[in-house]
Amino acid sequence: MSVTVPIVHVVDDDVSFLTAISRLLGASGFSVKAYSSAQEFLAQRDADAPGCVLADLQMPGMNGLDLQSALAQTPNPLPILFLTGHGDIPSTVQAMRGGAEDFLEKRASKEKLLDAVIRAVARDSREREARDRQRELRALFDALTDREREVLSHVVQGRLNKQIAWDLGIHERTVKLHRTAITTKLNVQSVAELTRLTQEAGIFLKLVQTFPKGQ
Amino acid sequence: MSLITIIWSMSASACLTLAGINFLVWLQNRTSLPNLFFSLLTIGTAAWTICELWMMRAGTPAEFATVLKWGHVAVWLLILSLVGFVWVYLKAGRPWLAWAVCGLRTLLLVLNFLVGKNLNYLEVTRLGHMRLLGESVVIAEGVPNPSILLGQINLVMLIIFLVDATITTWRRGERHRALTVGGSIVLFILISTAQSMLAFYGVVRVPYTASISIMGLVAVMGYELSSETIHAAELGRKLQETEAGLHESEERMRLAVEAAGFGVLVRDFARNEMWASDRWRTLFGFSGTERLEFEPVIQRIHPDDRDALQSVLEKARSGHGVYDTQFRVVLPSGEVRWIGARGRVEFDRAGKPAFARSVSHDMTREKEAEQEAEKLRQEIAHVDRVSMMGQLASALAHEINQPLGAILRNAEAAELLMQEKSPDMDEVRAILADIRKDDQRAGNVIDRMRGMLKRHNLDMRPVAVGDLVGEVAALVRPDAAARHVKLEFSVADNLPPVYGESVHLQQVLLNLIVNGMDALDEAKSDDRRIAVTAALDGTNTIEIAVSDSGPGVPTDRLKNIFDPFFTTKPNGMGIGLSISRTIVEAHKGRLWAENKSEGGASFRFTLPIAEKDVSK
Repeated sequence: MSVTVPIVHVVDDDVSFLTAISRLLGASGFSVKAYSSAQEFLAQRDADAPGCVLADLQMPGMNGLDLQSALAQTPNPLPILFLTGHGDIPSTVQAMRGGAEDFLEKRASKEKLLDAVIRAVARDSREREARDRQRELRALFDALTDREREVLSHVVQGRLNKQIAWDLGIHERTVKLHRTAITTKLNVQSVAELTRLTQEAGIFLKLVQTFPKGQ
Repeated sequence: MSLITIIWSMSASACLTLAGINFLVWLQNRTSLPNLFFSLLTIGTAAWTICELWMMRAGTPAEFATVLKWGHVAVWLLILSLVGFVWVYLKAGRPWLAWAVCGLRTLLLVLNFLVGKNLNYLEVTRLGHMRLLGESVVIAEGVPNPSILLGQINLVMLIIFLVDATITTWRRGERHRALTVGGSIVLFILISTAQSMLAFYGVVRVPYTASISIMGLVAVMGYELSSETIHAAELGRKLQETEAGLHESEERMRLAVEAAGFGVLVRDFARNEMWASDRWRTLFGFSGTERLEFEPVIQRIHPDDRDALQSVLEKARSGHGVYDTQFRVVLPSGEVRWIGARGRVEFDRAGKPAFARSVSHDMTREKEAEQEAEKLRQEIAHVDRVSMMGQLASALAHEINQPLGAILRNAEAAELLMQEKSPDMDEVRAILADIRKDDQRAGNVIDRMRGMLKRHNLDMRPVAVGDLVGEVAALVRPDAAARHVKLEFSVADNLPPVYGESVHLQQVLLNLIVNGMDALDEAKSDDRRIAVTAALDGTNTIEIAVSDSGPGVPTDRLKNIFDPFFTTKPNGMGIGLSISRTIVEAHKGRLWAENKSEGGASFRFTLPIAEKDVSK
């Protein structure tokens, strides 16, 4: 994956505050991009770049909560931090339920603000890595044939070749051939490693459900 | 053809025609006995007329006697039906006399057949001739039958009966009928009796021509009866028309009433009965068949409205006549319905109520909307007074937090920039300019608030201090009770009014009391009291003080607490006291705080009295 500098996107309709906070974050060492509305941000942002979003909760037109749900639909759901003059309880609860990284008053201390931004960027980086790894693993698993995936579902449940052959109505040697193909394609050495990889790829549960244990 | 033949036979056939018509009328309506008797009477007349004609043309004395003998049957029928007719038509006459006439006549009929050739003659000796209407007609001579005397008595009795019945009818007030029917019958019977007697005794030589005068009688009676029939038919037709019209207008009325959703109730006081339309029954929750009585209907009325309704109805019954009222009805299901009712009481001649009619309609929705609006109005008034300051504070906090936030972030950014080895001074200058701009912005918000309050000052008028304190007390009492704070209000007697805007002054007082309660909450003390006093201060000023039993204001804060955004409360905005002071100063008064020597804080403000303005 390409290594890019994380960008802090600041969204606020109050241009004066937007400029001030962008200066502070810039002076603190972040790459900052400022937008005076949620629509502007969604239209202009780099679709793939890492970072986080710092958005005013109360904005005319598309407000902070609308932006949060719109962002969650995209393939690059950056963590979002909310800023507010003073937040009311219902919108705070909704924001946190929607997975907001934090909820800050506009006059919160600088340390609190910077800590929250660092945390959000770190979370983005973590989530991004996990997303990349999953994508990679899925690509590996996608290389398997249907029959191989079927055999795999039995293997990860700890069943023996003999049992698998009986269940699937094929010869035990054929099962062995499938297993060799699977371990080669996924580049693993043991059943334990195979199971961990399957789990990590997020398809373990799916496999188990799709091909349930015979009787 | 001879004139006599024409007249007599035409008379007979006219009589028969009348007989037939009246008989048919009687057949259609068996109770119309006059028609039956008249029919019999005309048959008798027709028969006698034929006998007369025959006698005038008789060839031998024996023939004459025989015809006269049978003619008496016609006379018998004629007299009996005449008595019957008078009896049923005039509804008058003495019964015994009627029976006597009929009985004697029947006896005479028997004698007619038993004694001599007929009732008139023991023997008809010879026939004479005379001229009548240019023709020769027969008249008889013979030995008179003594029984004829009874016959004449019978006729006299008949006349007495008729005269008596006529007089009775006349006295009863039916003069027209007495004259036309009774009078003409008497007249024509007199004439025919006289004529037949004269003819019999040979005083004048005339043949038996009683039928001519009897025809007159028949004509009068026939005219009377047929005009009666025509009249009855006319009445019947009119009645039908009226009924149809009535039905039509009733139907129209019913439609209109139903369409408007009105229920109709009629109460008959004399019979103690009530009638109600289906819609009324639905409105008041009675089934379609249930018998209505006053008491159960009254029981349907909501207990709170019952007495009022009773007195409205009583007033209408005791002479006022009309009412227009509203009340609630509790249906058997428990549902409550608002009813609007208008009614009218009709009185009889004695001035007693005879009928009460009323229309009712469902006005539940109107009432509910009315109550809803009233509730809303009260709520708005309350919210207005209680939260005006709170909302103002909240709006201000939001507006002011923006520039304050920007100032803070700019300052922090500048600090960071200055830490660098070679700071970008242009950027720092830009930051400083922005800080100044945002400070200006925050100041503008405060100025706007002040300006807003000052604009309201235009509506200043004299305000009674007692009312001011009383209204705030009412607003704050529930809150104080919930927070276990004892409120003491003490307003000096005979205070002159102050000059100001009532709602704003209420806000100040309310704010001070709520602040006091907040201070008590923080102190967690058992002694939780707030005293509000109002007294004259000098000659031109009134001082109102709000004192609490809390810890008091720390001395170092006393001078700051009126600054905007200065707060010691975790949830405070630091705006209430600032706004309060602005308001008081706009009223040309002062607001300050002090700590009491016995403990607790006291917030005091003064207001100029309004006497000078009142005198203007």
